[in-house]
Amino acid sequence: MLSLGPIIFGLILGVIIGSQIKIIDDTHFTLGAFVVIIIAGIIVAWQVGNFPFYTDLPLSTGFLSALIGIFVGKLLFARSK
Amino acid sequence: MSQGSVILKLISLPISILLICLGIMTILGGHITPGGGFQGGAMIASGIILSILVYGLGNSPLELSHTYIEVLESVGALGFVIFGLIGLFVGGFYLYNVGTDVLNIVPAAIQNVFHYPDVTNAGIIPYLNIFVGLKVFVGLSSIVIAFAGFKKIAEESE
Repeated sequence: MLSLGPIIFGLILGVIIGSQIKIIDDTHFTLGAFVVIIIAGIIVAWQVGNFPFYTDLPLSTGFLSALIGIFVGKLLFARSK
Repeated sequence: MSQGSVILKLISLPISILLICLGIMTILGGHITPGGGFQGGAMIASGIILSILVYGLGNSPLELSHTYIEVLESVGALGFVIFGLIGLFVGGFYLYNVGTDVLNIVPAAIQNVFHYPDVTNAGIIPYLNIFVGLKVFVGLSSIVIAFAGFKKIAEESE
């Protein structure tokens, strides 16, 4: 059975923090850079394993949902500067 | 005030994002693993601090506004107190775990509302971790933002 707690609250916390990300021109962060961050995050979530001991998926659902939430928050609410 | 080189600027935002995710993961596992609200909040704050140190205050991609800090600090403190008062009024004790209800004194409907949706019977403990995590994250971040602001003012006045 999939544990919904870490998925829901990971997304909420990620959106709350991702809403404060703003991309400045001199940092050279393009869409490709964020795709690389997502891939790196998925690898980290896989290596972390099923933390905290939920046996539903072989990766950390809290970590992955937080990563998705950060990017959703950035896309929805991020300010430009 | 920016002190970072190009390499630092390129690598610090991805590391900050991954640190924030690790902090959120620590908060969400706080009821059954080592860690919890304070530790996870400190890890999230470390991501914000890394970004501010490398990019400098005013240029950081992860910079918290005054209103944001104010709102999250208030939500963290108020949420904790409200959960405590719910335990006081429903169960008879301050911070009584109404989601788990080991004394069988809470109606089943209220118990279901406050039951954290996972396989453990943790009740309100994960919610308290989340509120503490929010409060610690903005609290520690605001200290560093304040110090960076003081340094900026001192540099400008010289």
